Amino acid sequence: MTAPTRVAAREILETADDSLLDLIDNLLNRGVMISGEVVLGLAGVDLIYLRLQAMLCAADRVTSREAP
Amino acid sequence: MSRVYLYALLSGTPACETGVGVCSERLRVVALGDLVAVVGDVGELPAPTALTLRAQDAVLRRLCAAVDAVLPVRFGTLVADDAALAESLAPRRPELARALGRISGCEQMTVRVWGEAPAAAPPPVAVEGGPGTRYLAGRRRAREWIHRVPELEPARRGLADLVREERVERHDRPPLLATVQHLVPRGAVGRYLDAIDGARAGLRPWRVSVTGPWPAYAFVDEAA
Repeated sequence: MTAPTRVAAREILETADDSLLDLIDNLLNRGVMISGEVVLGLAGVDLIYLRLQAMLCAADRVTSREAP
Repeated sequence: MSRVYLYALLSGTPACETGVGVCSERLRVVALGDLVAVVGDVGELPAPTALTLRAQDAVLRRLCAAVDAVLPVRFGTLVADDAALAESLAPRRPELARALGRISGCEQMTVRVWGEAPAAAPPPVAVEGGPGTRYLAGRRRAREWIHRVPELEPARRGLADLVREERVERHDRPPLLATVQHLVPRGAVGRYLDAIDGARAGLRPWRVSVTGPWPAYAFVDEAA
């Protein structure tokens, strides 16, 4: 994992709003994976996703259309 | 030297202008038999920032508006050139085409189920046989449980006509209990949201949040 990726991982989650959290989940955790691809450092993506999970579990951050 | 950044696989050539990608590069289409890939030529891998993630999502939404079926590709997918792209996809074109058929005309809604504790798992059924049989039966129950969301049952009737496919990811780490992805026909989002809203009282003590519509990010697993 490169240092810039680690920095990006920290910054993106520190500043993430609700819609961005779902976007991170969709774009980094889902989607077609093809063989031979160069993915941004896998460890970096793992780091982002682990932190995302922690944030989701720590608080109801995804609040759009949530029950009153 | 530039490389080819892959955004999506489509069922046909988009009628619209494909626009620019995460690095402000002009996007282009690559015909691969019955598939069409949307790519950009980039000098380096984009970092996963809010800006680049939103830019990639914007590309996919633009494509979804122009084509019936769009298979999103994971962020950060880069190949050497068009020939390498064709080579990577060649053995999987049939399954990718099937995946495109499944998601055609649909979009994704994401439901998160929140609560202090998950619904109780059904009590184990007595299993005849020795310890090995009972062990395997227990494993099967556990495997089935991770694909079930009993907390959503009160909403099922209202959603039945709207949900084409479902993907479940149980977390069981309160307050987040589960993430459920629904594949719904385009144009049905209003009715979907009404069905969820109409079921909220019956869903208590659990709460749900809904986001979407999204491109069908979660429904490419058979092609993954």
